[in-house]
Amino acid sequence: MGGHSNWPEWIYVAVVIALMTWVGAEAWEAERLVEHVPADAETIIVTGQQWFWTFEHEDGTKEIGELHVEVGKAYKFEVMSKDVNHSFNIHDYVVLMDAIPGRVNTVWFAPDAVGEHDIQCREYCGLIHYNMRGTLYVEEPSH
Amino acid sequence: MAVLVGLPAVDFAFAAGEEPGEYLDRRVLIWNLFYKMMTVAFITGSVVSGTIIWQVWRFRESHPKAKPTRYEGTDW
Repeated sequence: MGGHSNWPEWIYVAVVIALMTWVGAEAWEAERLVEHVPADAETIIVTGQQWFWTFEHEDGTKEIGELHVEVGKAYKFEVMSKDVNHSFNIHDYVVLMDAIPGRVNTVWFAPDAVGEHDIQCREYCGLIHYNMRGTLYVEEPSH
Repeated sequence: MAVLVGLPAVDFAFAAGEEPGEYLDRRVLIWNLFYKMMTVAFITGSVVSGTIIWQVWRFRESHPKAKPTRYEGTDW
């Protein structure tokens, strides 16, 4: 193929590589920042089972179907399951983590405003999956 | 390499969530990423599909400037 110029193809290849590199770097960086748990985060053990959520605070307090936290604090959820796969989701705070039997998955968040938010299961887990819900209560700090 | 190494390094230096009581907002971070990726996807999609549409329009047989290639007959 003499006398045939292919520079547009090389430009195309370079643009594709540059875009993919940029997209990859952005996603990797966002994931790294989101996964960095603050050192002062309080741990809450979240247990999913058919068909409700149990929350255990650091002081041993347990709650079923509802979770009370304080505004301005960071919380680390240790998410596990007693039976089948579930997925712990607080939609308003973009918290989403699978609850897998035999595994502890972690995710953290820091509520920044007082309010009530829905908690739900986001992985089909059987007959009553649709009603495996809870409520997150974000309250003023107690002290 | 500048993007791969430089940006994360700069971001790390200014990363939020290091000060006590000051945490990064995962909603902002995650939705920002989503909007950036959607912008890239739609721009790339329109450029690629626009190029294909233009090629089909420009190199159709009936285009006024169409020339036969050496691989096809010269019936017209």
